[in-house]
Amino acid sequence: MKVVKITAVWCSACLIMNKIWNKVIEKKPIETISLDLDFDEEESNKYTPGEVLPVFIFMDNDKEIKRITGEHTEEELIKILEEIGD
Amino acid sequence: MIYLDYSATTPVNNEVLDTFVKATNAYIGNPNSLHKLGVESKKLIDASTEQISKLLNVSSKEIIYTSGATEANNAAILGVCYRYSNRGKHIITTKLEHSSITATLQYLQNHGYDIDFLETDSTGRVDLDNLKSLIRDDTILVTVASVNSEVGVIQPIEEIGNILKDYPKIYFHSDMTQSIGKINFNIENVDMISFSAQKIYGLKGIGCLIKKENIVIDPIIHGGKSTTIYRSGTPAVGLIVSVSKALRLVMENLDENYEYVYSLNKYLKDKLKDNKDIHINSNEYSIPHILNISIMGIKPETMLHALEEEDIYISTQTACASKATSSLAVYELTKNLEYSKYSIRISLSHLTKREELDTFYNVLIKKIEELKSLNESR
Repeated sequence: MKVVKITAVWCSACLIMNKIWNKVIEKKPIETISLDLDFDEEESNKYTPGEVLPVFIFMDNDKEIKRITGEHTEEELIKILEEIGD
Repeated sequence: MIYLDYSATTPVNNEVLDTFVKATNAYIGNPNSLHKLGVESKKLIDASTEQISKLLNVSSKEIIYTSGATEANNAAILGVCYRYSNRGKHIITTKLEHSSITATLQYLQNHGYDIDFLETDSTGRVDLDNLKSLIRDDTILVTVASVNSEVGVIQPIEEIGNILKDYPKIYFHSDMTQSIGKINFNIENVDMISFSAQKIYGLKGIGCLIKKENIVIDPIIHGGKSTTIYRSGTPAVGLIVSVSKALRLVMENLDENYEYVYSLNKYLKDKLKDNKDIHINSNEYSIPHILNISIMGIKPETMLHALEEEDIYISTQTACASKATSSLAVYELTKNLEYSKYSIRISLSHLTKREELDTFYNVLIKKIEELKSLNESR
């Protein structure tokens, strides 16, 4: 299981979610691949990031099993990880 | 051509351009040189700096010339953080900042700084009680733009300054790029402000950071003293003279221009407000120069190019962050993803003519119908 996180430096929601995600992975460690929409353009586009940033793509054996975008709380993210992990 | 993208950049005033050309031709000396030609250039810069200081009611020692607002924003934020990281690494800002602020803060976040975002009310203005509650012992900087560039909401800068004056170790920076020359603010309790000439009918490549004289920051461009110790490099004489000219012209006519743009905004809003396909995102706290609307079901980029075909120019999101397709600022204001997905910005100027708005409106309505039928036929 791993998470692909797509953000951009100009996106305030991404700053907020970076902070929250760091708290989440302290409690529930999970491999995170961080991509920047502009600096890692080619790699980011492989995941068709869509219209709202940031994008969190939960992957199992390189297969996307869940995707969330925009702002979420720490509790919501932990719940998602628990659901996916179960 | 109908240009309605004045918040992205303004055309250069001919008087400003003339001043730039004359100063560039007549003053060839490096202002840092000791000979006569250098001294003359230095005197010209000093006179321009004096004029800017009078127009903005600040000390001439507080003016730092930069390449534009992006550099001024970087200089203010990084300058404080580099200098005072021993005091703390906590910064407070909003979700309505220009990308040159947000990107700088993300860089700092990657280097261990903690960034908190102020909550906004339903009008998009920051919650002052939330500001008070976010202040910590390790807070070193608060940065809040006076006017958001996409929706035009005016922030309570004076009230924020009044709160922060009780915290002498917290510096207050405001990006005033979208307000200088359009509306006046009391900047008495603002420690640093940024703006650029290209938004006030000046030239691209010059901006200012106004920093209170008693505040020491670290420079981000090193190379020794130039016009100040805070920004090295040979002073751009022509550009500096031109920015003072541009500022004088917009400040002299500020009230008159504001009233005129206000009437234009009302005129256009009255035309747009009853259209069922259009939602007006800008509100009563927005400057009249910025009118953000959503055209439901039509992608902003599609509308931008459809209008471009008729030689009409508007913008989707701020030019500096136009890659994502939803507007963060519109979402922050409306909390409606659909509005943020379909938003465009119309920005007005004292140069805009009422007849241009008539033509724009007629073309816009025609394009909406055309694009809607195209969508339906798909």
